[in-house]
Amino acid sequence: MAEAALQALQVFANADRLGLLLAGIVGGIVVGILPGMGGIVAVSLLLPYVFRLDAVAAVAVLTGALAVVHTSDTITSVLIGAPGSAASATSVIEGHPLARQGQAARALSAAFLSSMIGGLLGALGLTLSIPIARPLVLALGAPELFMLTLLGVSFAGSLLGKDVRKGLLSGLMGTLLGLVGPSPAAAQVRFDFGSLYLMDGIPLPVVALGIFGVAEVVDLLARGGSIAQVEGLGRGWLEGVRDVLRHRWLVVRGALIGMWAGILPALGATAGTWMAYGHVVATSRDRERFGKGDIRGIIAPESANNAVAAGDLIPTLLFMVPGSASAAILVGALLRYGILPGPRILTDHLDLVYVIIWSYALASVIGAGICFAASPALARLTRVPFAKLGAPVLVAMALGAYQASQEMGDLVSLVALGALGWFMSAAGWPRAPFLIGFVLVGPMERYFVITKNLYGWTWLARPGVWVLAAALIAPFVWASIQRLRRTRPASEVPSRQSGRRVAVDVFLTAWVTAVFVVGAVLAAQLVPGARELPLLVAGAGILLSVAQLFAVFRGHDAPEEVPEPARVRASLLLLAALAGFVVLTEWVGFLLTAAMFTLWVCLRLARMHPGFAVAYTAVLAVLVGRLASLLSLHLPAGRLGL
Amino acid sequence: MRRAGALVLTVVLVWALASSAGAPYYAGKVVEIVVPTSPGGPSDILVRAIAPYLEKHIAGNPSVRVRNMPGGGTILGSNWFALNAKPDGLTLLAAPVGSTIAYIVRNPAVRYDFRNFKLVAVSGSGAVFYVSPRTGVRRAADLPQARDLVMGSPSPPGNVLTAIVAMDLLGVNPKVVFGFEGVGPARLAFERGELTLDFQSTIVYVTQVQPLVRAGRAVPLMTLGYLDERGRVVRDPAVPDLPTVYEVYQQIHGRKPDGLLRWKAFRALFAAGWVYGRGLWAPGGTPPEVLRELHEAVDRMNRDPDFQRDVAQRLLEGYALHRGDRVEAVVHRNLQITLDVVKFIRDLMRDKYGQEI
Repeated sequence: MAEAALQALQVFANADRLGLLLAGIVGGIVVGILPGMGGIVAVSLLLPYVFRLDAVAAVAVLTGALAVVHTSDTITSVLIGAPGSAASATSVIEGHPLARQGQAARALSAAFLSSMIGGLLGALGLTLSIPIARPLVLALGAPELFMLTLLGVSFAGSLLGKDVRKGLLSGLMGTLLGLVGPSPAAAQVRFDFGSLYLMDGIPLPVVALGIFGVAEVVDLLARGGSIAQVEGLGRGWLEGVRDVLRHRWLVVRGALIGMWAGILPALGATAGTWMAYGHVVATSRDRERFGKGDIRGIIAPESANNAVAAGDLIPTLLFMVPGSASAAILVGALLRYGILPGPRILTDHLDLVYVIIWSYALASVIGAGICFAASPALARLTRVPFAKLGAPVLVAMALGAYQASQEMGDLVSLVALGALGWFMSAAGWPRAPFLIGFVLVGPMERYFVITKNLYGWTWLARPGVWVLAAALIAPFVWASIQRLRRTRPASEVPSRQSGRRVAVDVFLTAWVTAVFVVGAVLAAQLVPGARELPLLVAGAGILLSVAQLFAVFRGHDAPEEVPEPARVRASLLLLAALAGFVVLTEWVGFLLTAAMFTLWVCLRLARMHPGFAVAYTAVLAVLVGRLASLLSLHLPAGRLGL
Repeated sequence: MRRAGALVLTVVLVWALASSAGAPYYAGKVVEIVVPTSPGGPSDILVRAIAPYLEKHIAGNPSVRVRNMPGGGTILGSNWFALNAKPDGLTLLAAPVGSTIAYIVRNPAVRYDFRNFKLVAVSGSGAVFYVSPRTGVRRAADLPQARDLVMGSPSPPGNVLTAIVAMDLLGVNPKVVFGFEGVGPARLAFERGELTLDFQSTIVYVTQVQPLVRAGRAVPLMTLGYLDERGRVVRDPAVPDLPTVYEVYQQIHGRKPDGLLRWKAFRALFAAGWVYGRGLWAPGGTPPEVLRELHEAVDRMNRDPDFQRDVAQRLLEGYALHRGDRVEAVVHRNLQITLDVVKFIRDLMRDKYGQEI
């Protein structure tokens, strides 16, 4: 085994092969930086070139790209607050506030280092688990997979925030949105409103970009100034390295969580990242800083999302059951070279398996190195007045969202969810539960239905289920024991009966209540087998949101920090402008709309000199066109066909 | 600045057009193949593997790109193609199984009609049924006596429809558990012992299930079969030692199934979803000379030893890649099924499995 591993390493002694690996890495880094675009875009982009190479080189390029996407996506998440890919939204929550506090360099270097170590641990874990993975994966049946999804949901419990009701409502909203689309066990599409676009559900990149990205960028633009809101460059990248060393076990724990989320077919990359994040929050004693820029909230998820792709390779290579679309493309490439994933790959192509592992490890190091080298320069971007960057960032986000299904629906959803995300952020609702609910509801319902139909009630007697159930309730038991031991003062939570009624909060709560009511009415009309979970979610949502509505009207539960009216007005104007962006795109096409929007932002928000603004717009339009043709992205053409 | 750019562009364009007179139609052009699924699906992988050979063998060497348009369970991208693709041979549709099945069962969301398209090339695949040794089934004819047959399926309708109709035809009533993410996770559940009856395409059978058969953990039963050029059912060329559903029916019932509504339903799904399940289509109205170029490219590809090795053997599993014009009439005939057959399929799914399709 060690022999084969060393032999595979010699593959990279060849300059051509190393060069190709490097090409894959650079491709992965670029795609990772583009908001909302992840591994799937990277591999489908590289595939046409890859098919001209030999099998070893092809595998190196694809694995190299896959390994670094989750390293570089952090850059966008931290600096701009728009998730570079759906799996790096946690870094928007923790990394972006640090950038606002002028600590972008620290956040980035901690993230890159964790990513690198996560990737290396993933590669190591991949090597070690190859002999034992097959029986392990086969030992976990549908009941255990269902329990694992529940465990994922319970991790979200620690992310509900101080105001539990708002957190729960946010989670239920995400769950309801995740239920849009085909029902797993009945031939019925839920909540599609007769639209073909909604028939497959809303794509995850669009949801992550909308709820986090659009909301952040709108807020930044409305706020004015630069991303970093303090003077001075802050403590730099060495601080980030020290953070990682201090929390080295978090890196390991994150990598383990990510790796297993990748190995098990039920969860997937985004869920793995969120579980790592939830785990950190749940196991930390001082939770005050989470959500406001806690370095621990960057380290574990960043380590996890790089380990996920390594874990994902196990079902892909050993069972030919790829856990993600990008792994499915890797399978396709292997088939094309006559390499058959499956039990025999370890005897027939062990050398190639090791090439994959080495590519993964090397790419993790090289990719993080490149990102590292770039981070001081990138951190300086946070000093630039954001109005100058806002337009290209929004255009890039729209471009990224549109690649999800190339339907105007992608843009409509992006802006609608962006508005929702902005309201949630302004009214102090946590957004993490929303995304977790969205991601986990699918596998949870699926494995529940399968479990119920295969096992009846006997599944409750399986030992694996008991073990996972214990893992599920242990934190709660632990927490109550601690609470009993510590004789806390009765009113630790400061009462916030300020009597203020915050307009955005009232509006949001009323709107959410209406959504749940409509959801319940629609769910009641679905066939049995499709309607149970939507009814449950909408019912719980109605109860909680009505209670919340009362609280809000009476002035309880007001957000701690209320945006001043001028900022609210500016944000609403921007959201309206984005809605205009969608309508205009529908008619005159993306490129022209993007140009007009950029010009408007430059003149109105950045207050650029008109001549300069026009030049800036022209350069941006040309760049978008070039980028689109280079990456063969498609732009909406518009009905008028301009 | 921009005006100057536009001027330069115009000059270049005029020059390019002028110099291309007499050059092959496809020279310097871009062919886009619409795949109505996400990247990574079987038809996506196949199209991506074929694309370099199309580039090589279409005279003029156009660049060939794949455009994934997922959504609406493959209907969205196919509808888009029907409504937007210009008949210039530069936009083609790789119709996956989902879109042909949706078409033949007359899904109301379908806005495309294969009768309006021209077939560029078509290939197919077969599938194999196998059971767990626990069921006591040793050969396909034992199926009606078997108890505890549990089969997994992704959300209906999908491709497992063919398997469900086949079981109904043979008089077998397996329990079907819906909700699997795809056929891969269902196969894992079979390996874990949660399912006892499974159905996989031949490529998956050969690579993933045959090792289980050798280890005594799976018993192969039968294939869907295949259709020869005249539309007769023959044994699956990839797994010729297994009987077909058609043969097994005769073993069990002692007569041929032809003429039965059940058989018509099975044959319709089997032909549209499997034998002609991988079609590459051009919009109707594409000029004959452009179509001829595409058809000849298919011939040249089939003669290319690299294509034979990399794609035909490995991804097409040895099933022929037909020139569209040669089989177009047969394919069109197989995609039209009568309303009584559609109704039979719908009723079966509703009455037996409570699923409205």
